[in-house]
Amino acid sequence: MSVVLPVRAPARGGRLSRRLRRTADNPWGRPRFLGAVTWLYMAWSIVPVVIAIQFSFNAGRSLTAWQGFSLSRWYWGDPINSVFKDPALQHALLQSLKLAGLDVLIAVPLGVSLALGLARWRGPGAKAANFLMLFPLVTPEIVMGVALFLVFLHLFTFIHPGTTAQLLGHVTFSISYVVIVMRGRLFSIGRDYEEAAIDLGATHWQTLRLVLLPLLVPAVLASAIIVFAISIDDFVISSWLSCGSSCDTVPINVYSAARQAPLPSINALAAMLVYITIGVVLIGYGLYRLAMRGNRGSLADLGV
Amino acid sequence: MYPRWLWRASALPGTVWLFLLFLVPLYAVVAIAFGDVSPIFQLPVPVWNPLDWHFEHMSQVLTLFAPSHELWLVFVRTLIYVVAALALSVLIGYPVAYYIARFSHRSRTTLIVLLLVPFLVSYMLRMLSWVNLLAPDGYVNSVLTGLGILRTPYDWLGGHGFVVVLGLVYGYVPYLILPLYATLDRIDQRHLEAARDLGASRFSTFIHVTLPLSKTGLLGGAAIIALPMFGDYYTTNILSGTPDTSMLGNQIDFYFHGGPQPTVGAAITVVLAAFLVVVMSYYLFSVNRAQKEMHAV
Amino acid sequence: MAGGAVSLSALAKQFGDFVAVAGIDLDIPSGEFFSMLGPSGCGKTTTLRMIGGFEKPTSGRILLDGVDVTETSAHRRPVNTVFQSYALFPHLNVFDNVAFGLRRARVDKTNVRRRVATALELVGLTGREHSKPIQLSGGQQQRVALARALILEPAVLLLDEPLGALDAKLRKNLQTELKALQKTVGITFIYVTHDQEEALTMSDRIAVMCDGRVDQLGAPREVYEEPSTVFVADFLGVANLLPAKVVDSNGNGGCRVRLGETELDAGRGDTATRGDAMLVVRPERVFLEEHGSAGPNRVPGMVERVVYLGPAVQVVVRLAAGGTIQALVQGTSDELRWRQGTPVHAHLPGDALRVLTSREPEIAPAGDDQEEKR
Repeated sequence: MSVVLPVRAPARGGRLSRRLRRTADNPWGRPRFLGAVTWLYMAWSIVPVVIAIQFSFNAGRSLTAWQGFSLSRWYWGDPINSVFKDPALQHALLQSLKLAGLDVLIAVPLGVSLALGLARWRGPGAKAANFLMLFPLVTPEIVMGVALFLVFLHLFTFIHPGTTAQLLGHVTFSISYVVIVMRGRLFSIGRDYEEAAIDLGATHWQTLRLVLLPLLVPAVLASAIIVFAISIDDFVISSWLSCGSSCDTVPINVYSAARQAPLPSINALAAMLVYITIGVVLIGYGLYRLAMRGNRGSLADLGV
Repeated sequence: MYPRWLWRASALPGTVWLFLLFLVPLYAVVAIAFGDVSPIFQLPVPVWNPLDWHFEHMSQVLTLFAPSHELWLVFVRTLIYVVAALALSVLIGYPVAYYIARFSHRSRTTLIVLLLVPFLVSYMLRMLSWVNLLAPDGYVNSVLTGLGILRTPYDWLGGHGFVVVLGLVYGYVPYLILPLYATLDRIDQRHLEAARDLGASRFSTFIHVTLPLSKTGLLGGAAIIALPMFGDYYTTNILSGTPDTSMLGNQIDFYFHGGPQPTVGAAITVVLAAFLVVVMSYYLFSVNRAQKEMHAV
Repeated sequence: MAGGAVSLSALAKQFGDFVAVAGIDLDIPSGEFFSMLGPSGCGKTTTLRMIGGFEKPTSGRILLDGVDVTETSAHRRPVNTVFQSYALFPHLNVFDNVAFGLRRARVDKTNVRRRVATALELVGLTGREHSKPIQLSGGQQQRVALARALILEPAVLLLDEPLGALDAKLRKNLQTELKALQKTVGITFIYVTHDQEEALTMSDRIAVMCDGRVDQLGAPREVYEEPSTVFVADFLGVANLLPAKVVDSNGNGGCRVRLGETELDAGRGDTATRGDAMLVVRPERVFLEEHGSAGPNRVPGMVERVVYLGPAVQVVVRLAAGGTIQALVQGTSDELRWRQGTPVHAHLPGDALRVLTSREPEIAPAGDDQEEKR
């Protein structure tokens, strides 16, 4: 075949459109454009945070110019301004962890028991409770913040703004997340296991203890991780129920410092929270995997 | 199987908690918005009985919402910011979720982990990182001036609406992508193959099959991010901090923390909540319809 | 082990407005392999769940060896269930799954070990004690579920489509095994299935259910050969259903039936009825003959389709009277005689023709409905 046919140029459209059309028509072609968008998005969403964490290791005081690497200066090295030496920063970190830890301890049992009840309870009250449970998820935090602020000011006056009020607020917005996660898991395990246990002579209490609760462990862990993460991240509720500087959490500290020429120690403080969250999530995920052995699990179990 | 009282008892603590610390507080806002003001210190006095409600504060606030009044501007601005941020989020989020669900193979795990990273980083740190980047001597300005695109550093943080909108998108888009990804991932591949088999091109398969099937996830994700955006005040404060970019949340914040009139703040909160209830009702209506359509197939 | 006798009287269950079980009376003697057969939604699983104690009957009673257990809670009934999903506890290994019931009954350790070993031997799973359910194949999981239920030596074993999730070949093997197992342990099995072949091969007796009622109760041969309703005839294998009119008695215990232009003798079923009825004939009882062959009970038609089935050939004949009839032709010599378009006479022997009058009103003007189906 040595005859070279003259290539006829397409009537309309240049090389680009031809190429686009070919890409679109090729059944096995990978959509490079979508891939590029995806990876660009990933870079856009993560690089700024990485840079911010990088500046927590800046040797100098600047947040915009890199002045060399110092592992410790803004964490514990600087005698006045580092996270571990500045009482305000140190206190904020503790306050954040205290709230998140207690939130997990209170919201998870409450939510688990509520989810179990809502999944099984049939009756006129059940629908209302189910509806009520969904509301905190769709209420903007500022509305909830204002509401709690006012109710502690005018009705439940025995609770003053402060750590207790903050904790009550955190638990209130956390419960619903626990319920959603648990409900997904309850739905995916169904009722066969419990019926089998009852059938084999287990009492109700034994069924709950020996079958249902072990099967729910992965979801309990997942919801604990989620509650910890949203509590650590919360700014609005903590700030509306705050008692002033001694109630400041890390997000409140970061918020108030952000526009006032802060030192890299504020980045270090926020970064500390990231390390702790990642640590908690990794430990929780390990336990989750351990608990899920033998289960067919999926993202759907997490209520996603 | 189980004794009847067990589940009711199990649901009781959580329900009571939500009643006392969610429902009652919401009512407290209404009781203040329609309440009294003490004569001397101008402090709000809640009125718990709806029959005794005062409507003057609410009507006063409502006049501020009338076109070309103070709150009208803020309301319109909030609406524009949220709609713009929502549109941009969908424009960015849909392709990403679609690509990960349909085309990533070996890189899927990596991409999902990267997708989850923003959830591990607190919102404030993510905003702080942009404050650092957009500072007059920050990386963004130095890169742009270095490339010759800008001659002098631009004052990004000086109160620009588009910066606030981009900040909202940056803050909230992960919450849109995740549910969208979950929905797209759950679409049965066989539906798509059937569409191709019946002669639909890639593009028309997407338009006629994928898009309708992902409608619930898209609407759900949009609601998840739109609702908190309407109540947001910290993003605009941290990225602009001028009254030019003030949103409804800022007004509420102002009347409670800066201003002397919590009653007005409560009234604005009620207006915001009422507006969102309307939006939500429409949303629930359309989700319901979308689901019915799905079941009809 | 001695099997328990189960007796249901006027047992009914309603879910809101939906009637799942509409008053059932059944007596299942001790040691019987009893099947409830029917399409999904016929109430068979609900009946089983009521016997197991998972659903509270709306009305009626359940007696076990003469004792009323209607109000007894599930974990106190000497009845165990093999669930459709097996419901093996995923967090427990095979041994702990099988031992679960014994431990609830506070059986001591050495006895638990001994009895679990025996039970696993019975189902051929010795050596898999420490596997988790997810590591087992479908068939093995099914055996664990059986062992777990049998180890408590129940008076009655309830099986809810236990073979539903398995592939065809495995299902066949397990059918035989299950029947043999039931003979060995000697307890009453109540088996729920929608697969007619499964029910026919394993059961001592079958209750064919439809719309919450028992349509027919009898031995496999009885329900297959002598269906008492159109539904049973249709559900149990392929049956030819021909709308016809009963005109007269034939003076011989049977009746004369008009099918199109032809009058036939029908010797079985409800021969005392008059007027619209259904004629049922099994394909294997339809004989094809050359066109024009003489004799009674012959109807003319034309071969419409010939389908090779392996051991037999299915011939579909379009009748001159309207509608089609299927004939199953065994052997090889005959199969070549029938080709598409061949005019034939179908011989429908009088002793193979059953006259059924439907109790369902919607099929009562039988002709219309059957025409629409085609």
